[in-house]
Amino acid sequence: MFVLNPQSGIPIYRQILDQVRRMVASGQLATGAELPSVRELATTHAVNPMTISKAYSLLEAEGLLERNRGKPMTVASQSRKQTPLGQRLGQIQPLVQQTVLAAKQLQLSEAELVKAVRRLWEEE
Amino acid sequence: MNVHSVHASHLSKAFGPKQVIRDLSFDVGPGDVVGVLGKNGAGKTTLLELMLGFTQPSGGDIRVFEHPSTDLPGSVKARVGFVPQQDELLEHLSVADQLSLIASFYPRWDEQLITRLSREWGIDTRARIRNLSQGERQKLSILLAFGHRPDLLVLDEPVASLDPLARRQFLEHLVEISTDGGRAVIFSSHIVSDIERLANRIWILKEGQLDWQGDLDSLKESVVRVHLRGSADALARVRLPRALNTRRQDQYRTAVVRDWSPAEHEALAANAGVEVQVEPLALEEIFLELHR
Repeated sequence: MFVLNPQSGIPIYRQILDQVRRMVASGQLATGAELPSVRELATTHAVNPMTISKAYSLLEAEGLLERNRGKPMTVASQSRKQTPLGQRLGQIQPLVQQTVLAAKQLQLSEAELVKAVRRLWEEE
Repeated sequence: MNVHSVHASHLSKAFGPKQVIRDLSFDVGPGDVVGVLGKNGAGKTTLLELMLGFTQPSGGDIRVFEHPSTDLPGSVKARVGFVPQQDELLEHLSVADQLSLIASFYPRWDEQLITRLSREWGIDTRARIRNLSQGERQKLSILLAFGHRPDLLVLDEPVASLDPLARRQFLEHLVEISTDGGRAVIFSSHIVSDIERLANRIWILKEGQLDWQGDLDSLKESVVRVHLRGSADALARVRLPRALNTRRQDQYRTAVVRDWSPAEHEALAANAGVEVQVEPLALEEIFLELHR
């Protein structure tokens, strides 16, 4: 369920944090939804299990996830309804900023960038 | 109780006039997976050999499970597994005989694990060791080090001869054995991407000294490439005290910065007329930048 890239400069635990936050914010991960176990994630991606535990613990501290004795972690209940639009936009802001900057460096026009985004959007 | 798997303080080693390890202090505990990086000749193998007691320190102290590494009781040796860079297999034996020879030294030899891994890794136990390929020899050395389920596993370039598939299987197995939290793993490799997957701690050895030691995550968050854009005047006012390598071109300045922090980001962004962009770096790039 996660896209993890160990060779990216972004630490793996951060990649997990960002993805869970986004999926919960959008409602894609609803209350009570189960997350894969640490062992499962670590073995499928061949990454250090402590990195994954760290991400899960931070998400638990944030109140996004709940630990259940002997069972998979689940999405906590206060995140039932969708997070307000402003906050969700805030989460994607850094990525958009990077893209816009890169587009400017490449001297692309706004319309060309929007067109590229639209094409990807429709593919998904 | 907090027992360190390995503990070193002010460790140093010289061969004649050549100082190979200089004043290293560190602790490794159960659950740690330490990736050791360094150029050829940085002292990686010597450091690992000091841990295993193969060579006497010239100064300082190194302990394994609380015992001086050059004087380990049998009960402690039985808790340590080692994969050397050059294997120590016996040419005339068959794989099966080599396995049972090593197994006879260890009371907690895990026959089931070895049978399973031999099958998964496609090791023909009837083959003679002298007929094995370099990769097969390396797989067998790894098996020999895993078999007694060591609490401390030390690996010196364990995957140099393995094909990508075998390397992945090896990594998956390392993950499997490190998920129970009780083991410490220390491994050196030039394959930085493997270390990036597996290690939670990184040691960067440079001329016998630990140029960097700490969490992989903190390393990635504290060494970044910063891109600045602004007029020549605005850029001239910007100070980047811990820049490793700086490049300037027209209205751009790019620098790799060590000890980066959010506070530093804010301070930079406060410069009027300067646009700041931070690019995170992969471990390989960080390693290269620290060696420029």
